Amino acid sequence: MNDLLLLCVIAGRRAAIPAVHVKSVIEIDTITPIPGVPPFIRGLTALRSQALTVIDCSVALGFEPQEKTPDQRAAVVEVDGHPYALLVEEACDVGEARSQPTAVPGGFGPGWQAVAQGLVETDTGPTLLLDIERLVTVPVAATA
Amino acid sequence: MMDELLADFVAETREMLEASGGELVAWEADPSDRARLDTIFRFVHTVKGNCGFFDFPRLEKLSHAAEDALADCRADRRVPDSHLVSAVLAIIDRIGDMTDAIEEGVEFPEGGDEALIAALSPDFIASSPASAVASLPGAKPARKGAVQRSIRLPTELLDEVMKGVSDMVLARNDLARRLREAGEQPGIDGPFDRLSAILADVRNAITRMRMQRLEHLFGTLPRLVRDLSTELGKQVMVDFEGGEVELDREMVEMVRDPLTHIIRNALDHGLEGPGERIKSGKREIGLLKFSARQSGNQITLVVTDDGRGIDTDRLAEKALAAGLFTQAELDAMSERRQQALIFEPGLTTAEAVSAVSGRGVGMDVVRANIERVGGSIDVASKRGEGTSFYLKLPLTLSIIAALTVGSGGQTYAIPRSYVEEIVFGSSDNLEFAEAGDTTLVTFRGKRVPCLSLAAVLGSEDCEEQVDWRDKTLVLIRLASEDVFALAVDRVFDHEDVVVKPIAPAVMETGLYAGTTLLDDGSPMMLLDLPSIAQQHQLVSEVRNAARAVEEAPVEPRKTCPIMLFTGLDGRRRAVRLELVRRIDTIPASAIDIEGARAQAVIDERIFTLAGHQYGPVPDGKCRLLRLSDGKSEIAYLVQDVLDAAAMDGDVIPSPSDPSIEGVTLIGEHPVPVIDAHALFATPRPDAADSEPLTCRLPTDSDWARTILQPLVEAAGYRIADDAMTEADVAITLAEADAAPVGPARRLIRLRPEPDDEAGPPDSIYRYDRDALLAALRQARTGETA
Repeated sequence: MNDLLLLCVIAGRRAAIPAVHVKSVIEIDTITPIPGVPPFIRGLTALRSQALTVIDCSVALGFEPQEKTPDQRAAVVEVDGHPYALLVEEACDVGEARSQPTAVPGGFGPGWQAVAQGLVETDTGPTLLLDIERLVTVPVAATA
Repeated sequence: MMDELLADFVAETREMLEASGGELVAWEADPSDRARLDTIFRFVHTVKGNCGFFDFPRLEKLSHAAEDALADCRADRRVPDSHLVSAVLAIIDRIGDMTDAIEEGVEFPEGGDEALIAALSPDFIASSPASAVASLPGAKPARKGAVQRSIRLPTELLDEVMKGVSDMVLARNDLARRLREAGEQPGIDGPFDRLSAILADVRNAITRMRMQRLEHLFGTLPRLVRDLSTELGKQVMVDFEGGEVELDREMVEMVRDPLTHIIRNALDHGLEGPGERIKSGKREIGLLKFSARQSGNQITLVVTDDGRGIDTDRLAEKALAAGLFTQAELDAMSERRQQALIFEPGLTTAEAVSAVSGRGVGMDVVRANIERVGGSIDVASKRGEGTSFYLKLPLTLSIIAALTVGSGGQTYAIPRSYVEEIVFGSSDNLEFAEAGDTTLVTFRGKRVPCLSLAAVLGSEDCEEQVDWRDKTLVLIRLASEDVFALAVDRVFDHEDVVVKPIAPAVMETGLYAGTTLLDDGSPMMLLDLPSIAQQHQLVSEVRNAARAVEEAPVEPRKTCPIMLFTGLDGRRRAVRLELVRRIDTIPASAIDIEGARAQAVIDERIFTLAGHQYGPVPDGKCRLLRLSDGKSEIAYLVQDVLDAAAMDGDVIPSPSDPSIEGVTLIGEHPVPVIDAHALFATPRPDAADSEPLTCRLPTDSDWARTILQPLVEAAGYRIADDAMTEADVAITLAEADAAPVGPARRLIRLRPEPDDEAGPPDSIYRYDRDALLAALRQARTGETA
């Protein structure tokens, strides 16, 4: 098992997104807000001729919204044909998974539990592997 | 343009020939085979239709004759036998040969057609038609290279290319912005402009690549109708019109199901059985007619049957029984509104649920599906005479005409098809009233609910009192006839936007239908108005309001639809909408201006040009409005076509400018309205009639063909080429024994000698151009007066 992972920081914790799903990592400067949507959707941003739905991972996990910084990083992923930009605090590096995702007794905490596939070992230490499909939909189910 | 169409025609005919090859053989083996008969009938029918369009009289006559004979068989007036089969086959072979000749651009050898047609007659016993074919002069020439080649491509590839081009446009826009900031740079601006022009062309071409002729959809319908009508024991004839109209491929697929359902409905409920039809004095065979027409960015598709019409009494009963409306409400409805009840969920007029229609899927679903793709559907019906469904569809799925509005510092798009009118909140015509928590606005005697977009989106504090006078109201009319006013901070512009789907989580809000990128690359949301109306329970409330208007209209002000455009000088102008026949784009090379004469060539016809005096003719493509006074047409050159609007105020005359009727206020901006009377009154010797008069010339005279014909055609006549129908004018040569050349309403005689005595009385010397033109003119005014 040596899948590539995009290692990032969300709400101060280390997290990972399977690199196969990540098309690119971009810097976002302008986000067009969409009124009326759940708070984890920050709005839209344009990437070439595509409008990406910007997901604030921090909010999706049940934390406070991420601080707005001038060079916010986001991982561009596609779920069911829709492009998303997953806003993360820091996008560190691409690393290899050293283990299968495993559950941890007691869980990862309510927010993390909903969207995490499990814990994986990486060269930089244990990291939570996120399920991006759940990341962009689960909060909807939760609020609906 | 014409070449392209012609190539399509040739390709299509050949394709059908190839496809029907097997059918022909099978039919020959068993002439009573109904399905084969239908296929072959369809083939000759299509060829006939196309020929009429291209003016191939010989092909048309042949296919028409074959069609007639086959129609007799289909109607059981005639039993197909091997004679008929051979005769039809001979004609189809001939059609193939002629198509080859058309493709190669060579004349097909004269003669032989009559023998082939005669062979179709039931009493034909003479030599076999094969001999007629064999005796043809001139063997079939060897095939040369094809005119146009085509390849098949997956639509995904097209989409990818289209996306690439969209990206290029955005990159170009970005570059344009940077160039502007950097100031003028002659070395770069030129090539950049060229790049922009090329990009625009490529974008245009890509869009065209996605288009498909409606024929492809129509082609599948006769079979469907045939199968259904057999199942129901009814006889139905199908008629098509406008198969050449093009629609986005995806849109064609989207309307397939709704259309199928409408057909099922028409066959099942609309058209009567043969017995009932005869009893009510109709032809035994029912007629189902499809016609398509393009107007601007919309396609109108009409499906008409000549059946029993909609039984509004029964509809009303059902609506009452279903608890949708009260008796009083139903009584208050106009006939037309009652007919529209068929779009209500849960109502079906069939006595019993049959196998064909009425299986749970109602017209409400059809309407929902049509609306989902940005279209609308309407019905008109006359008891005992038939029903028509009017489908209005946008040209493409992905590009829609939108109105951009601002609210809370952001820009949103509204599909223009919903926008009825734009009014400023500060306008004196408006009256606001509070009813509980709802704000109503009274406008032109109508009281409609008001929604603040900011409140709808929750981007502003809902508790706070909205200052309606500060807002701009966009009057929205949904396809369900529900009307409401949407208050926005400001209205920006009309734009064609490319709509992309949005993430499910955003869709969930029910506020947005899609997203699109503005020219500068920033995203913009497209509002989902039907869903917003639903969320605010406007769909039924408004119905009451609308009905109230039906009962007590408060003196409606007369409005007149106009079309707004910018002239070549960039100024906004307007023209009354009734005058606009269509909008065309032609290459600048098709425009010819010389001194006082200005003409444009559209589809191989010459039009008088107007509007060119306002500025230089643009390079490349030119937009023009084709204006018609019912008789003649004028091509009016414009820079851009903006929008249709309603002119409700007065036109203030402006005597200083004779080219305009006056100035009117559109959205509080003065707009000059061009004076159509002055436009058409200007003497235009070359104005091509929309329906040219016909003139018959002696067929046996080279002089008539080479010298006279161009003159007559230049005078606006079409040369009558078939010997049977009456022409408007006939010209005979006095020396040719004055035998009438064919039926005609008027006769002009030409004599070979200049002096009077030599020829018959009131003849004209054949080179007396002025007298001849005067005579032709007189014939024309005699006709038109």
